[in-house]
Amino acid sequence: MNEQAGSATSFWARMRNPEDRHPFFDQIEKLFKNKTGLAGLIIITVFAAAAVFAPVISPHDPIENALYDQLIPPVWEEGGATKNLLGTDDLGRDILSRLIYGARVSLTIGVVSVGLALTLGTLLGALAGYYKGWLDNLIMRFMDIILAFPHILLAIVIVAYLGPGLRNAMMAIGIINIPRFARIVRASVMDEFGKDYVTAARAVGAKDSRVIFNAILPNCLAPIIVQASLGFGAAILDAAGLSFLGLGAQPPIPEWGAMIAEGRAMILRAWWVMTFPGIAILLGVLGFNLLGDGLRDALDPRLRD
Amino acid sequence: MENLLDIRNLKTYFNVRGAVLKAVDDVSLTIKAGQTLGLVGESACGKSVTAASIMGLIPMPPGWIAGGEIFFDGIDILKLPEFRMRKIRGKKISMIFQEPMTSLNPVFTVGDQVAEVIRLHEKLSGREVRGRVIESFRLVGIPAPESRVNDYPHQMSGGMRQRVMIAMALACYPKLMIADEPTTALDVTIQAQILELMNKLKAETGASILFITHDLGVIAEMAQKVVVMYAGKVMEAADVNDLFGDPKHPYTIGLLNSIPVLGKGKKQKRLSTIAGVVPSLFRLPEGCLFGERCTVAQADCRRIEPSMTDLGNGHIVCCHQFN
Repeated sequence: MNEQAGSATSFWARMRNPEDRHPFFDQIEKLFKNKTGLAGLIIITVFAAAAVFAPVISPHDPIENALYDQLIPPVWEEGGATKNLLGTDDLGRDILSRLIYGARVSLTIGVVSVGLALTLGTLLGALAGYYKGWLDNLIMRFMDIILAFPHILLAIVIVAYLGPGLRNAMMAIGIINIPRFARIVRASVMDEFGKDYVTAARAVGAKDSRVIFNAILPNCLAPIIVQASLGFGAAILDAAGLSFLGLGAQPPIPEWGAMIAEGRAMILRAWWVMTFPGIAILLGVLGFNLLGDGLRDALDPRLRD
Repeated sequence: MENLLDIRNLKTYFNVRGAVLKAVDDVSLTIKAGQTLGLVGESACGKSVTAASIMGLIPMPPGWIAGGEIFFDGIDILKLPEFRMRKIRGKKISMIFQEPMTSLNPVFTVGDQVAEVIRLHEKLSGREVRGRVIESFRLVGIPAPESRVNDYPHQMSGGMRQRVMIAMALACYPKLMIADEPTTALDVTIQAQILELMNKLKAETGASILFITHDLGVIAEMAQKVVVMYAGKVMEAADVNDLFGDPKHPYTIGLLNSIPVLGKGKKQKRLSTIAGVVPSLFRLPEGCLFGERCTVAQADCRRIEPSMTDLGNGHIVCCHQFN
């Protein structure tokens, strides 16, 4: 009992003493002190919780039709029912349940497409930044070509080629976001390359791959994390755009962008069908952007006091 | 005694904005096993490029080895393929850098970084590696090594970090250590400790040291043999006693005269300096590289390049006076 208390105290004592604490905790603390960053973190946490516990918390099945309950308005409107808090759509599906399941879809889109863009972008950027010369030119000019296309248009082209569907939409969004990561990673790697510890790593006999991934990249994590967080929001927005155009999630998948597309025909009769998914997208993207800004403030050493 | 390192006519050039910059031009030097060779010269005279050439760490492009051989343990390491050179780096030849503040990776613990060297070159279990790391920390005089291995570089002072760098360099018991101005960034008391430590470790491990510095006082304390470089060329090479007791080259004499002497009254003189500045490597003078600044230069010195003259007992000088 005493020993347990002793070890617990020493951990908290170490946490309180800034000298002994791992710098990671300083950055977490800094993020929590940043009000907008914290707001973003809270929004994302709520959405993530909704996604994880969707089957438990959603009041209805998101796909099952209920033809007697078509277009019920939200509960506070005349004719609303407590059974469907945010109303139903034209097939009688509960909007709230579809939004909750939609969080699953959107977060999956974020994870998959950011994961794809992050992996390939980091790899290409690191190679370009480390080897420079013709390889750098080749990779970065290719990235410039991707960037020269209007963002969503290129995604449409890729989806048109691969065929519509959520999976292909995620791939397309991943591909168009590769240059963002490649550019940031290349710049950071070039910045770190000149530092002595990189020469020292080579001087002890490490291979190039080990120097890049073991010595340099861990020092470039801060900008990569920030870009990933901002990229999450952008990916959700792009996926919603593609789904709105009918190229992403196909019915009856409860994707927010697809829900807006389905509801737009009846905006004058039933505003709630497309308004709530719109608010969900707004909050989700806003949450990731606020979190990204907060992380940048917490991680960027130049902004440190 | 066998030469551990034998550099013959090394030429390391760089291509800078279309011009060829001869950073190291026709440099030869040898180090015997267990010997410390001091490489002295002003900033940008090619000391560090010589070290990087030995390590095979010249960035190519823009640099390249234009000629010469570097024999290490009888093998010309300039001809070795990269994968074999990697086995020599860190294992047989290791390097200590000038800036202990930046030469350690900020995101890993110091223990991890020393362990990395051992893991790269020897197949040992995790516990054995940890034991070796703690042992090497003890060897370089880091107090409480068991807990210090878990520190990050920013938690250590400059002197402690340089000890970590030395522990890293010693981790695989190399035959040659290249120390590139290892004490320049440290204050004098720490400097004395580090030099003493290096001398002690050299005696214990029998390693040779290539000691690069611009501080002649440090050389006198550390080296058995001294090579003086100027603008990419060797000016004079001799045993440490010969060089300090009987310097031949006007540049060496100038350097020795520029050391401030403490004293009061009549003993205190105005500090003498070498007139002029190091020539730009882009526009090297004709004839002797030192000709423009030399106090005893003759007409020939501005036209004809002097060659190396052996004065006996390994004392070599590159000056027309002795040709």
